[in-house]
Amino acid sequence: MIIIENLTKVYDNGFVALRNINLEIPDGQFVSIIGLSGSGKSTLLRCINRLIEPTEGRIIWNGIDVTRASDDELRQIRRKIGMIFQQFNLVKRSSVLTNVMAGRLGYINPIYSLFNYFPKHEQERAMAALKRVGILEKAHNRASALSGGQQQRVGIARTLMQEPEMLLADEPVASLDPATSHSVMKYLQLLNQEDGITVMCSLHFLSLARAYSHRVIALKDGVIEFDGLPDDIDKDRFKMIYGEDAVEVEIH
Amino acid sequence: MNPSPTQNRSRLALRRLLIVLFIALLVVIFSYGWNVTRIDFTLPQQPQRQENVGNALRELLSPNVFTQDYDVKNTLISFRIGCSDDFPAPVPVDNGEPYIIAAPHCGESDDIITLQGFNFASDGLARINWIGTDEERRIRQIVGTNSDNFVVGFDGTFSVEIQVPRIRGSQNQTHSIETQGRFPIGAPRLSETTYLVLEKMLETIFLALIATAVSILPSVILSFFAAGNLMHPIKMPLGNLLVTFTLFPVGAWLGATLLGALGQTVLQITQTEIGALAIIVSGGVIGALQLPFMASVSFLKKRDDTPKRNAAKPNPIVTILSSVLFAIVIITVFSWLGGTSLWIGRIASEGSFGFIGKFFGSIGQLFELSVIAVGAIVGAFSLSSMGVTLTRSALKEVTVPVSHILGTILGGLAGAILLGLTASIGLTMAWLGLLTPILAASLAAPILPTIYKQFVLKTRRPEQTERFLMTVLGWVGSIVGFIVVFSALNLQRALIEGSTPPRIVVASFAGLELYSYVLQAMLFGGILGAIGGAMAGTKANFPFGDTLYTTTRTILNALRSIEPLIMGLVFVIWVGIGPFAGVLALALHSVASLGKLYSEQIENIDAGPIEALESTGANRLQTIMYAVVPQIVPPYIAFTMYRWDINVRMSTIIGFVGGGGIGFLLQQQINLLRYRDAGVAVLAIAIVVSILDYASASIRQRVG
Repeated sequence: MIIIENLTKVYDNGFVALRNINLEIPDGQFVSIIGLSGSGKSTLLRCINRLIEPTEGRIIWNGIDVTRASDDELRQIRRKIGMIFQQFNLVKRSSVLTNVMAGRLGYINPIYSLFNYFPKHEQERAMAALKRVGILEKAHNRASALSGGQQQRVGIARTLMQEPEMLLADEPVASLDPATSHSVMKYLQLLNQEDGITVMCSLHFLSLARAYSHRVIALKDGVIEFDGLPDDIDKDRFKMIYGEDAVEVEIH
Repeated sequence: MNPSPTQNRSRLALRRLLIVLFIALLVVIFSYGWNVTRIDFTLPQQPQRQENVGNALRELLSPNVFTQDYDVKNTLISFRIGCSDDFPAPVPVDNGEPYIIAAPHCGESDDIITLQGFNFASDGLARINWIGTDEERRIRQIVGTNSDNFVVGFDGTFSVEIQVPRIRGSQNQTHSIETQGRFPIGAPRLSETTYLVLEKMLETIFLALIATAVSILPSVILSFFAAGNLMHPIKMPLGNLLVTFTLFPVGAWLGATLLGALGQTVLQITQTEIGALAIIVSGGVIGALQLPFMASVSFLKKRDDTPKRNAAKPNPIVTILSSVLFAIVIITVFSWLGGTSLWIGRIASEGSFGFIGKFFGSIGQLFELSVIAVGAIVGAFSLSSMGVTLTRSALKEVTVPVSHILGTILGGLAGAILLGLTASIGLTMAWLGLLTPILAASLAAPILPTIYKQFVLKTRRPEQTERFLMTVLGWVGSIVGFIVVFSALNLQRALIEGSTPPRIVVASFAGLELYSYVLQAMLFGGILGAIGGAMAGTKANFPFGDTLYTTTRTILNALRSIEPLIMGLVFVIWVGIGPFAGVLALALHSVASLGKLYSEQIENIDAGPIEALESTGANRLQTIMYAVVPQIVPPYIAFTMYRWDINVRMSTIIGFVGGGGIGFLLQQQINLLRYRDAGVAVLAIAIVVSILDYASASIRQRVG
């Protein structure tokens, strides 16, 4: 369970990205975060694992105050929170296997990293993760040789290495075509249903949010505009979130 | 609102005027530069200069690469001045040897006679001598030329005309005409100069190679500190930083004395046969146990799987013991390596592969020389990291009044140490004494703005004018700080006379002497540091990474601005004329240059993987190893190749200041006006540089 209390983020240039956000997300929920570009979706996700330092407020995860954690504690918390990104954030020159194993670094003795060494069972774990996302045969390819959808699946396999309890997905399908988008979203759904991983996923398309999530949170100018079931977003709500001129686009 | 047409027109006119003024300014600057550089087209037209440059170029462009051994064969024929019947025409005998025929076979002085030669070396040089009755050789020039030598025809024959000389008392005497023909012996071969140039070229290439190789490791390390994107996020609570800084000199002193002594002992033991035996044994043990070192480290740092509310406080005894153990292990391994190198150097410096042994011996020497310094560094880092680990939780707990009191004490100590350090540097080099007031200025800079923030702004954000005011206040504070420290330390003397401050000892402790100059600087540092520490408190977040970044960049830029030739001058004084001085100069310059180039490559990498790995809970070292290193390896290789290329070019001229390599030879040849020999060196440089240029370009293309 994650509790966000009075979360505010003001960037150094004075831009207020988040204003007084209060949220409570129970374990095992699939939450979509929607909103226009610049509405604070990415900032909210990154504040949870403190890739971005919140200005004010608290984030309590399983009873631990993330915002007050020391560097060591923060690393221990981050191990249990996976994250996938719009641009996949793989090391393009490294092999798929290495990219996946990098997700395990938080568990591995840092001394090993100097020698680029992973224990045997961790390599097996990485192969299992790749098998799960269906690209086992690509393990020894360079990450750059994969298509966008495959790269994002490598990203998912990397978070699987963390044995996460929660997954933050920052626009995971925004760089993908509609068909690939659905396949990636299905993997996220699978992790949510099979492993009980809480998923917080920011999305551009409301249709994707409707199709996959239990709950939709809409942000507008750093404030929660809507928080409820996907089906409760009607035309009026939609216009409130996306502005008067917006038209809902379906993606199939 | 749109500007009116008249406004538009006047603006256009103004712009035209500005362009005209700009062009006029350019013309003025350019003309002045033309005069300053003394461009004068009458000089190159002077006939003497044209002839000189023609000769020099001709010789440079006919390099003395090949040589040929020659034998000179002399052929004689008799000639009588004043014809008579008792002097018949000599009958030539063709037995394969060169012979000549004179026509006519007798004559008067000043007659023009024709000489025909046979069986001479094709295309060889020959000359004609007149040998009178006095046995004296007189060179006869060929009619119509003014050179002594002529070239034999392709078929080995010639036909030339000479004038019979006028020699007193030669009438009615039989003289001899001698033809000296040059015959090549054997095939053409490379000249002595070529061999010398090849030898020096090899030296040059290795000079560049060693200088580049030596500079790689320091450049790589420095490049991480000089990369803004890696350094910027590094922040540290001021308290921890101050603890580190305060413990640093103590640790350095302890390390130099205790660890240094340990290292020297280990060095002494391991450079004997016992050491070699011990290495073999321990190698076997390590092999048998499969990296027990890693295992022991993982035991020390056992990791917990579940995040905890409060991380367990470190057991102080364990922390101290592991720090001490770590320091001892590091220094032992270091000196062991040194001792073994020395040992290899001693036993294996004979024979044709003795240079390998000598290399190890030399490396061992380097280890031996630096063991105290390494001990100091290891000691400083261990003690300060130990101090931070032990005080971290305590520092986290302190509240407002205590944190500021602690800040005052620690800040004062750290400031005193910092300025004491720069003052010590200023003791040896007069102008570097300026570091002290400069640092004092940077310490004093934030004081006034912080006071303003604290008492006027409180929590409000500053407005535009206030921000400007704070900047001005910062400058005022730093200028005042600079002037006060500058005049108190009497630095104008150092600037004007270039003399170092007097060394008046005020106290001495265990061989360390404290000079009054340093004490003064320490007092200022203490005061400024205490004020800063008091205002900021120990909990303030100090942009440690930015400080490191700025310091590294400044040092690299300063080093890079000094040309390797100038560094070479200094190193020649230090280590004498020869390639060693060149290696040092090029290596130092390469560190500065590669450090900057490398760091720019780090700044250009894709930040995504860094973010991704940070989000997985990887620590900084792991993030760098897995997100940064794979991205920078190709550009690093490319830039190293590029630098080697540059170093080869540089090493061809570093010899001009005595830095060894081919430049030294080239300079000698030019000074002796031996342009044909210089031409060989120039040719060799051109060939090697273009080959390397091509090679480095193709390698860079392949890895890039």
